[in-house]
Amino acid sequence: MIEFSDVTFVHDNGVKALDGITLKVDAGETVAIVGENGAGKTTLVKHVTGLLKPTSGTVLVDEVDTRTTSTATLSRKVGVAFQNPDHQLFSESVEEEMAFALRNFGFPPHLVEQRVSWGLQLFGLEEYRKSSPLVLSGGEKKRLTLACILAWDPGVVILDEPTVGQDAIQKEKLVGTIRMLGSTGKTVIVVSHDIEFLWPLQPRVVVMKSGRIVADGLAKEVMAKKEMLESARVAQPQLVSFYQALARRPGSPFVDALEARRWIEGGQQ
Amino acid sequence: MVNLLELDKLSFRYPDSPRKAVVDFDLAVSEGEVVVLAGPSGCGKSTLLRAINGLIPHMYTGEYSGDVRVAGSSVRASSMRDLAQTVGFLFQNPENQIFMFTVERDVAFGLENLGVPRPEMRRRVDEAIDLLGIENLSQRAPHELSDGQKQRVALAGVLAMRPRLIILDEPTSLLDPKTAMELVDLVASLRKQLGTTFVVVEHRLDLLVKVADRIVVMNAGAKVLDGTPRDVLFGEEADGYGVSVPAVTRLQKMLAKDGLAPDDRLLSAAELASTVERKGA
Amino acid sequence: MMWLSGGFIFRKGTSKYHRLDPRVKLLISALMFVTTLMVRSVFQLAIVLAFMVAVAAIATVLRRVARTMVLTATFSVFIFIINIVFTRNLETSALYASRFVAIVVSTSLFFITTSPDELEQVMKMFRLPRDVVFAFVTAVRFIPVMMLDALQIMDAQKSRGLELEKGNLLRRVRNMIPILIPLVVNAVVRSGELAEAMESRAYGAVARPTSLAEYRARTVDKVVAVVAVLTFAFAVYSFYFLLPTFLP
Repeated sequence: MIEFSDVTFVHDNGVKALDGITLKVDAGETVAIVGENGAGKTTLVKHVTGLLKPTSGTVLVDEVDTRTTSTATLSRKVGVAFQNPDHQLFSESVEEEMAFALRNFGFPPHLVEQRVSWGLQLFGLEEYRKSSPLVLSGGEKKRLTLACILAWDPGVVILDEPTVGQDAIQKEKLVGTIRMLGSTGKTVIVVSHDIEFLWPLQPRVVVMKSGRIVADGLAKEVMAKKEMLESARVAQPQLVSFYQALARRPGSPFVDALEARRWIEGGQQ
Repeated sequence: MVNLLELDKLSFRYPDSPRKAVVDFDLAVSEGEVVVLAGPSGCGKSTLLRAINGLIPHMYTGEYSGDVRVAGSSVRASSMRDLAQTVGFLFQNPENQIFMFTVERDVAFGLENLGVPRPEMRRRVDEAIDLLGIENLSQRAPHELSDGQKQRVALAGVLAMRPRLIILDEPTSLLDPKTAMELVDLVASLRKQLGTTFVVVEHRLDLLVKVADRIVVMNAGAKVLDGTPRDVLFGEEADGYGVSVPAVTRLQKMLAKDGLAPDDRLLSAAELASTVERKGA
Repeated sequence: MMWLSGGFIFRKGTSKYHRLDPRVKLLISALMFVTTLMVRSVFQLAIVLAFMVAVAAIATVLRRVARTMVLTATFSVFIFIINIVFTRNLETSALYASRFVAIVVSTSLFFITTSPDELEQVMKMFRLPRDVVFAFVTAVRFIPVMMLDALQIMDAQKSRGLELEKGNLLRRVRNMIPILIPLVVNAVVRSGELAEAMESRAYGAVARPTSLAEYRARTVDKVVAVVAVLTFAFAVYSFYFLLPTFLP
């Protein structure tokens, strides 16, 4: 579905942001990309829709080479929710905002209407249909940008730091949304440094450091590698630290507190 | 002894809003305390912070009742000039509080505004830069810096004014966990070295639990919880108010109910693990 | 765009010229400017231009100044043509055209060797209102930030299917709206946040703020200033009284 083949990217100022990235994401996978700020996570994401083209190596999205395709075309298949909603909201009303991408992608008017209504419903934004997107709260704006993307139903959804500035309730809703996307067969890529948020999702985890991939595997395996995480400056989920501190422990780390309690109270078997 | 900060039944309503942003808020903070203010988005935290440093009512007007006193003086009756020297405010976006072309000049900004004589200014600027560990950045231009570095620069600018109370508005939101931890350690060390009092608004409680003396939870403008981190996080209501209870604490709570873990203090992951093993054996 | 950035954007330099007091740099450029307006023939102007090139060489900004000269010269061809059409005088048309180039070069020399910090100092020394100076400083400081904002906005909108490269002129102008509105909105929000930060750091507390930076004229600055004025005086004297008797 998405294939990076030995991709290297060097900025105009000579800084190497990606160094020999080889990564394959299959349709329907949920992948988390973690790493400290500056490790290259956002640079990687920008390569998927052709916002950046590799200096060497290729990026294929559904067999299409990003170097020869426009971002607008690639975005039809890959929706990216950037960190800052204020970088894209501009329409007179929320419904116009949602229609923007649909129209750009050539959806006929009756389909636009249908998708807009569906998106507003799904994200609980129907009451703001005629309001200006600029007066919405931060959390509502984030929901709106996600609704805009889902309206054109891309096969891949990429979320870039979706939890920044979100409170616990909003984060929980987000976990639910990501699960929902996965269950409808979408490929989901989440870039985040919020490890506690990612842990319950148990995604495949790709750890980046200085433009390279230093780990790639199931959450339970990757998050157990303490030294690797430390050198990549990635925090370890608290429950994994707890699990590793136990002298006697089960085969794999606990996903949530409930599971941990069950094991402990079940005689620690 | 007079509390450094006192909110006395503070209520505030913005002119174009039907409901109050802050409702009957009482709070007492003593000198040297680190208080974390938490609550769901839109609960009024930003308004509360601005009422403490004087932006409300001096820059934002509205329906104001009750009182806020800093070091005994009412905020309403003081000038922004005096308040700026007692209460420092580190805003959420580091970019939009750095004005000058070079880091050093920006750290001096507040002191230039106050008309501080050059030798004294030089001393305070060097001191602030030293405390924040940004000597190697002092001649750089702000747009060349990372978010974490910009934040240190902004904080240096606040510290140069030698405030007794510093407000931090979601300081870790743009930082990755390791950089965020460094900031928290910095807060702890400033409190220790200078005796500065801190009021920090933060969602990511797991980072601040080590350094916080108290957690105050706000909802719909009113104070709903106020106590030590242990009291607030172990309480029943924490989840209801969207407070991020750290995973290990959540586990400890569950086990404590069944007598398998203590409930009088918060344990770290390692501590909880050894407690569980001892009890299990 | 290239012309503007090459000709007027400051870049750090280490030459002795860069280290001169900004007032002296301003004086030198101002005197060059005035001389340009006073010369009477293309030959005299050529001498002035040669002098500017020499100064640019001393300031190690020769390549940039040379490029500015060439790019400006292409504009000045139009000035030449228009003048020829209306006055039919070769000499004066050439003079006006080359004068334009010289004016641009003298101004450019000042801006490319003077940092925004120094510009601020100069503005303060000329007792411009504090708010005006501050507005200028803040605006320049945020130029790179706004440029980055614009890039990020373009990325976001491209990711929603916006094609910035396609279409006729009208279409392309319309496609700027999803870029401009967020840019302007962000700028307005930014101003609000800056205002809060300003108040919180006591902006306006005192009528005359003090300054961390010190700009005291050194001996070399004073000497260069005097030399500049003498050179100017000599040049004016030569052009008006000496040379006309020898050359056309």
